[in-house]
Amino acid sequence: MVRNNMVAMILAGGRGTRLLELTNKVAKPAVYYGGKYRIIDFPLSNCANSGIDVVGVLTQYESILLNSYVALGSRWGLDANDSGVYVLPPREKSEGFGLYRGTADAITQNIDFVDQMEAQYVLILSGDHIYKMDYELMLRFHRENNADATIAVLEVPMREAKRFGIMECDESSRIIAFEEKPPKPKSNLASMGIYIFNWPMLKKALLEDAKNHYSSHDFGKNIIPNYLNSEKKLYAYRFKGYWKDVGTIDSLWEANMDLLKNDNQLDIQDPDWKIYTEDNASTPHFVGANGSVLRSLINQGSLIDGKVTGSVLFSNVTIKEGATVSDSVLMPGVVVESGAKVTRAIVAERVRIGANARVGHANSEEIILAAKNVKDGEKYE
Amino acid sequence: MNDAFGIINFEDQGIRIEGLMDYRPVSAISFLGRYRVIDFVLSNMVNSGIDQIQVYFKEKPRSLIEHLGNGRHYNINSKRGWLHLLGMESTIHSEVYNHDVNTFTQNLHLIQDINKPYVVIAPSYMVYSLDYSQVLKAHLENNADVTVVYKNVDNANEAFSGCDTLSFDGSKRITRMEPNRGKYKIRNISLECYVMSKKMLIELVQLAAKTSSLFRLKDMIADVLSEYNIIGYRFSGYVACLNSLSAYYNASMELISYPKAKELFKSDWPIYTRTNDSPPTVYGEGGQVEGSMVSNGCLIEGSVIHSVIGRNVVIKQGAVIKDSVLLPGCFIGKKVALNKVIVDKKALIHHIKKLEGTSTEPVYVKNRDRI
Repeated sequence: MVRNNMVAMILAGGRGTRLLELTNKVAKPAVYYGGKYRIIDFPLSNCANSGIDVVGVLTQYESILLNSYVALGSRWGLDANDSGVYVLPPREKSEGFGLYRGTADAITQNIDFVDQMEAQYVLILSGDHIYKMDYELMLRFHRENNADATIAVLEVPMREAKRFGIMECDESSRIIAFEEKPPKPKSNLASMGIYIFNWPMLKKALLEDAKNHYSSHDFGKNIIPNYLNSEKKLYAYRFKGYWKDVGTIDSLWEANMDLLKNDNQLDIQDPDWKIYTEDNASTPHFVGANGSVLRSLINQGSLIDGKVTGSVLFSNVTIKEGATVSDSVLMPGVVVESGAKVTRAIVAERVRIGANARVGHANSEEIILAAKNVKDGEKYE
Repeated sequence: MNDAFGIINFEDQGIRIEGLMDYRPVSAISFLGRYRVIDFVLSNMVNSGIDQIQVYFKEKPRSLIEHLGNGRHYNINSKRGWLHLLGMESTIHSEVYNHDVNTFTQNLHLIQDINKPYVVIAPSYMVYSLDYSQVLKAHLENNADVTVVYKNVDNANEAFSGCDTLSFDGSKRITRMEPNRGKYKIRNISLECYVMSKKMLIELVQLAAKTSSLFRLKDMIADVLSEYNIIGYRFSGYVACLNSLSAYYNASMELISYPKAKELFKSDWPIYTRTNDSPPTVYGEGGQVEGSMVSNGCLIEGSVIHSVIGRNVVIKQGAVIKDSVLLPGCFIGKKVALNKVIVDKKALIHHIKKLEGTSTEPVYVKNRDRI
């Protein structure tokens, strides 16, 4: 806290319905990604690497796993004396019990927390985005512009702009207009859902918004438009690099496959910007005498005695002799029995693919999700 | 196991892992890619419920200190448990005097201060998975003064050279301890793991100092076999004795095989180590691996056959690594062929395109070397 007077608040309450069974029991930020990580490791590691010491994580949907996961701040090095990761689910208050009604309401309900940290700035993040970003540079930009709020933006292809919150800026990067999912976008600068606010002003705005019964208590829909209407100084901070919001099985698969490209921009190998995560005490991975691995990402603890091509394997995956896995993502503890074929699929944690079973199809249009055991010889396409 | 504390002893003068030991004690040598040798004995202690542990070193402690830190990553309770690194306060010019009894004597007040009645003493160079709480239980049941863990092996003529062999009186009581000179295949090999009361340890250390200034703890135990009830505890699991470069190499080659590795790595017996937060390993275009053990953080673009690959190793296109052990952080350039080679940490092999050793004499490439 001493270093930059900024507290990060990670919104991690979303369910991610389109991720199907993967989010039945865990919120989207806890979904596995990249052979070793959970999605929330990215914003948390970014905080740790950016010198942010205090992080609040706002959880709501199915949060048992997520709460216990993030509570151990030492995983990301956020465990020094002045540092910590604080889990903030909705709680009973003197005025009653209320779920978080929107992204802004989640912060409103935790005003006491930010006040207690005596923060000057608050950084609002989303717990389900995959990217690497130095928030310290964004804070510097915010200070230099003497801004009231700064929003990180990404240039997206013009034809996709209508799926995002779009910013219109002047030459000094000051935001002059903002439209949520505009049918006819006027620019291609998309909001990444990353905001820096001056805390005293945001606190006032949140308290006012809380009184408004017509508000959805959302940053994009209410707080940002209100700031613009009252001519506050909002600036757009341009981010260049890999950024992904994985909303569907297809996009989760694609984001994993991105890591197999030689020129992938995420570069999780960068020793100066490590992504920290839980360490399980598993052995290095074994490639057996019958095993072969091509163009893949393999985590520790796996045992490979079959053929693996173009795939991402999490920890403790077993591929038996004669099994073939291609263009797939296998989450921790998956077992692929001998003779089974897994193609263009995501296989969920601890699922067993029976002997000679078929999962997915080489020419399938959509990626198949195997969330339950597949019986010996069964076809699951 | 709240009744015992642990002592991890350093290796004695007879142990020499050529090359690798120039930079660190045996305990800190990288083993099987992701571990250091000490991780095994330390995990045994922690998994057995021992959370007050003294680690002794003789010299060059830098890499050991770095690896062990405050011991938190070994799952030691951070308030009640502790891990203390203790060295020789003053080493003597003549190496024969620098042995465990001398070190224990210098630190005897610290041993006396520990409020536990029993102690488990073990060196790090013997690698195995064993529940010491079972050994302590047997020790108490047998009413023993000292319990010595041993393994009955059938390759004492090839391995375990210089280790103590045990003879029994027909029961579990040890009647003779003498060094293994490699004449016989079948022998009871002491793992140099001793369980005894704290009082007994102090007594033996003081007695050793009085008897001969060259006596090590094992010499003292051998000397009092007739006066005390010294009992053997038979262990029948996998043991690797890392007492030379070829033993280190052979153990690495042996454990590449998954069924063999399963004898050491048990699902209910985690081996802890310091995490390096390395990403999963990337197999690039041209990467081809078979029958190998590969750690995280590597980039593999060449061929790897029957080898152990440490963390953050880079193997470029056209390189062929066979029957070799690559320690963390080394870089193998394009079209380099290695056969039976041990490459120490952060070494770079690029200009020399071919290196070949033998099983008994693997080639050793120095720490941070550039060749």
